[in-house]
Amino acid sequence: MNKISPIQSIGIPKPLVDGPEKATGKAMFAADFQATDATVGRILRSPVAHANIISIDTSQAEALPGVLAVVTEADCADGYGVLPIAMNEWALARHRVRYRGEPVAAVAAMDVATAQRALDLIDVVYEELPAYFTADEARAEGALDLHDDKPGNIEREVEFDLGDVDAGMAKADLVREVDFHCAEVCQAQMEPHAAFAEYDAARERLTIRPSTQVPFYVHKMLARTMGMSESHIRVIKPHIGGGFGCRTETLQSDLIAGLLARKARGTVKVVLSREETFITHRGRPESHIKMKVGMTKDGTITAVDFTAQQRGGAYSGYGIVTILYAGSLIYGIYDIVSARFQGYRVLTNTPPCGAFRGHGTVKTRFAFENLIDGMATELGLDPFAVRRANLLVAPTMTENDLLVNSYGLDQCLDWVEKASGWKQRKGKLGPNKGLGMACSHYISGASKPKHWTGEPHATIHLRVDWDASITLLTGAAEIGQGSSTVMAQCVAETLGVDMGRIRVIAADSALTPKDNGSYSSRVTFMVGNASIDAAQNLKALLIEAAARKLEIAPEDVECLGEVYRGGQQDQGLTFEEVVMEALKGEGTLAVKGIYDTIPESWGGRKYRGAAIGGTMAFSYAAQVVEVTVDPDTAEITVDKVWVAHDCGKALNPLAVEGQVQGSVWMGLGQAMSEETRFHDGLPLHANMLDYRVPTIVESPPIEVGIIEANDPHGPFGAKEAGEGSLTGFLPALTNAVADAMGVRATALPLTPDRLLELLEKKARDERVSANASGKVA
Amino acid sequence: MEYLPEMHLHNPATVEEAIRLHDAAPASRYLAGGSDLLVNIRRGIEQPDHLVYLNGIAEMHAITDGPDQISIGAAVTLRELAESVLLREHFAAVAQAAGEVAGPSHREYGTLGGNLCLDTRCVFYNQSEWWRAANNYCLKYRGDTCHVAPAGKKCFAAFSGDVAPALLLFDAEVELAGPDGRRRIALMDLYRNDGMDHLTLTSGELMVAVHVPKMPSAIPTGYAKSRVRGSIDFPLAGVAVRMGLQDQLIADLRIGLTGVSPLPFLVRGLETFIGRRPDDACLEEVRDVVRRQAKAMKTTLTPPHYRRRVAGALAQKLAESIF
Amino acid sequence: MKSTLSLTVNGVTRDDVVPDNLLLVDYLRDKAGLTGTKIGCDGGECGACTVLIDGRPRHACLTLAATCQNAKVETVDGLSRDGRLTAIQRGFHEKLGSQCGFCTPGMIMASEALLRRNPDPSEADIRDALAANICRCTGYVKIIEAVQFAARERTA
Repeated sequence: MNKISPIQSIGIPKPLVDGPEKATGKAMFAADFQATDATVGRILRSPVAHANIISIDTSQAEALPGVLAVVTEADCADGYGVLPIAMNEWALARHRVRYRGEPVAAVAAMDVATAQRALDLIDVVYEELPAYFTADEARAEGALDLHDDKPGNIEREVEFDLGDVDAGMAKADLVREVDFHCAEVCQAQMEPHAAFAEYDAARERLTIRPSTQVPFYVHKMLARTMGMSESHIRVIKPHIGGGFGCRTETLQSDLIAGLLARKARGTVKVVLSREETFITHRGRPESHIKMKVGMTKDGTITAVDFTAQQRGGAYSGYGIVTILYAGSLIYGIYDIVSARFQGYRVLTNTPPCGAFRGHGTVKTRFAFENLIDGMATELGLDPFAVRRANLLVAPTMTENDLLVNSYGLDQCLDWVEKASGWKQRKGKLGPNKGLGMACSHYISGASKPKHWTGEPHATIHLRVDWDASITLLTGAAEIGQGSSTVMAQCVAETLGVDMGRIRVIAADSALTPKDNGSYSSRVTFMVGNASIDAAQNLKALLIEAAARKLEIAPEDVECLGEVYRGGQQDQGLTFEEVVMEALKGEGTLAVKGIYDTIPESWGGRKYRGAAIGGTMAFSYAAQVVEVTVDPDTAEITVDKVWVAHDCGKALNPLAVEGQVQGSVWMGLGQAMSEETRFHDGLPLHANMLDYRVPTIVESPPIEVGIIEANDPHGPFGAKEAGEGSLTGFLPALTNAVADAMGVRATALPLTPDRLLELLEKKARDERVSANASGKVA
Repeated sequence: MEYLPEMHLHNPATVEEAIRLHDAAPASRYLAGGSDLLVNIRRGIEQPDHLVYLNGIAEMHAITDGPDQISIGAAVTLRELAESVLLREHFAAVAQAAGEVAGPSHREYGTLGGNLCLDTRCVFYNQSEWWRAANNYCLKYRGDTCHVAPAGKKCFAAFSGDVAPALLLFDAEVELAGPDGRRRIALMDLYRNDGMDHLTLTSGELMVAVHVPKMPSAIPTGYAKSRVRGSIDFPLAGVAVRMGLQDQLIADLRIGLTGVSPLPFLVRGLETFIGRRPDDACLEEVRDVVRRQAKAMKTTLTPPHYRRRVAGALAQKLAESIF
Repeated sequence: MKSTLSLTVNGVTRDDVVPDNLLLVDYLRDKAGLTGTKIGCDGGECGACTVLIDGRPRHACLTLAATCQNAKVETVDGLSRDGRLTAIQRGFHEKLGSQCGFCTPGMIMASEALLRRNPDPSEADIRDALAANICRCTGYVKIIEAVQFAARERTA
């Protein structure tokens, strides 16, 4: 009689739970908070690239009417940094500045004009030092060390040599080595950095709303910088206008807001200009990659030998991790039996680089997929066939001990090959048109946390009270990627209840459990699993209560989500009735769920730093890009992209599509128009005109195929969806241009001027060889 | 969030009042759409104490269809220009160029006068006060070195308005009003080849209107620009072409360029093409003439070599496509 | 210098004393408390501040408030005055035209202006109309779908 069944919440498209706020303007971002007594925080930045600070005189600024606080490094208790082993940055430069734009002092004043006048009154005496704007300059013999403990300006040198690379190369039918150069790029998220800090002077407590992906790290670094007890700080993450990695470490503006608020003993809002946001940087480093691959006639890869040099900027940041990823994730996508890597992360007098979507993997993958595409052409092989000749078989461990439990790359290849009409269309598109393809992968969270404390990776609290609503408390940072939605889905699915019952409260350190933050695509996998765990614990309590009320054994209770009953004939109890029963003698229900990774996923020990790359699961992606090139202007039009992404179970197919499209498109910007260059260390692209984020006009249709190679450990089988498909676009583009025009780009971005140079060089070479062979027309 | 300094805003209702207000106040600037000027003020490149806002002057908003000429008020917006049926019919390149400026929202308030009087641009100039100060400023503003050509004493900042080269095709004249009354000059004479001081406007002079003589018969014209993105960007090179044929032979050929030097200009020496058949060889020669005269300097992040090549390529393509 | 500004913002008549150098975006956010309109760049480069003035899209970050005398200003905050999402807002929400949401207010206002003058826009019309608005999350694919959804809803 009763057709009631648990309500399905996963695997169906779900608009984001916080979507209405964004569509109505009600979503509050850091700069949107207002208070009548709020003062304006503004930062004095170094005009020089490298100098000792001889003195800072703030007395005139302090004396200016309307100025409430002036802070310098003297107000900082300690330095900070995202990696415990490399904390060499200060909120405000200490004794030395190392890049143009580095914060030196800051003021809080009643209005912006007064704040600027105060900055103009601060007298800083610099003693200039030689500055290095490229990795080669910084590594040159005799170069001054930026940091005393980093000789030769090497942040980290990474080496591994696994399997027998020389034997592998000897076995190959074709060995090719190519140099690749990729420009530095920046996240350029739409929201400039901002923080709203309130200091409760009576209690000596700080509440701050920073634009961050990692409220927990900001919390820790505020305590460290301000010399405050962590228990006296509350970090509330507001809505975040994108991050893409630049906010996965504490930024100076977060710390400066805290320092100013305390000194002003009130409320301070720090909102950076777009230029300052670019200077804060934390983007992807300029990289030089030398890639050598051995391949047999059937396309089997016999060995990989590669080096990478990254211009890291002036401070450590994530640098060590970035250069380690650049090496370790050569593995995990194909069956690579032997590989040798040498990587250098170099310190330079430019703004610090950081973790950008696809962290560390993008440029290595670009080089690799570009090179093997060219080798396929030389060997007369189809690019798809080359990939298929090197597939992994899951479950497996890679040569560098990365766990691969699920693997949908083969299905991704099948999907894009078919959807793009590759077999029928490749080589038949006519002049100046081409198709290119490439593959990529990414981790679903780093299995070993940076701060090893013995705590689980993720914790979720669920609270249920007399109103029968479920409050999900999470520390995970919703930054637009849909994390709050996916958690609500996981809980709703596990309980079988309507998602409308669930209210998500995210990332308020006074209310929500700790979470490491939104980076390395960890949230769906780790926090999703913790959400399921919490919901299962809650469900057990509810089943027990239902059993009590129905006077049956718990194992006889049939949980239908909104109804709990003893059997078909039983009218059952509503969810509300079950909750009321559960509250008896117990009060408000508060349950917890946790998630931890398994040791097999922690990466290897075969070389120093081999843990970086270790993950519970990899996502996989393949894409085909179709281009038309104007041979006269060298303008490239991307006509269409087909991309297949293996994210395991697609918990929210709508959000997966959105993430994959956004990733591919971000790869497009990096491949075609975006770059960050410097003039003597001054950023030449520090605005939204010169940093060319693609507009809607030239952005192509992107057709997404979702491949579900479920992972046994993923939440309902899910894996990451937000990063893996960025990388493949870069080589797929250059491969498509090679197909269209017969020139292979090895430097990015492939702007029209760079492509024109390649086309002109090809024309010259053809004339020369025509002349040489006497075939002059 | 770069903020605006304190300023006085004036709202004249007539051209004469505007001139009086401008004349009375030191350090004053005329403000129309503001899409260029307000950005420059926010960056500290311009520091006027007074702004004379032109939007309330009815005379400057009209498009008038006369027997021999079409007159366009300087405060007519770029969108109005782009959508004007009259202009599309008579001066297609002008409407096209207006429709290519920046993005659609900019064209809603950016004006014809503003686009014609656009300040010259350079990567060392269009930066914040902090940036320029750290770079010891530049020849164009507050400094004594040109970072584009440090050895010289000339400023190469490039004129980057899209509409001017199109209007140059039609012998447009601009009507200027100043403290000494009104005058009409050829649009070409509004400009000089100096990135520091590229407009010949005298102190307090205001552009009121543009007058464009009608052509006796319709000659095909068009405008194309090169930019890295499909919208928003200034031209790396902008090319306006007018080419008329008679009996399959070129009877009329003009090419206007922008974005490649401190002023917009008409390509010289095109008369040699009159009477020639516009075949591939001919148009390649046209391309090469344009390339030689598009002497772009390192004022943009895209290298000059490309801007020259693309200027030639666009001229060739336009010439191929418009007839 | 200051003057009294009279205008309507989202249908509400307001009179405020504003300094001549106050940008419309700061007027809306700080004086009127309407923080839906966003600031994403240092002037006219990103479109996040797009509002409607007398029905036409315009950058509030390059408009002096004092030049909006007697104007009719509309922002994202006022679109759903009756408490329900309008078609374009539903489009951005339900079709995931909005991820982080920071470009969304500007995108929605530029889209709203388009749909008012062109109820049945082609994909090319949509691309043209939103060409001054940068989004960093979506790749624009779902933004186009959001506007198409809204167009269908409005004519249904």
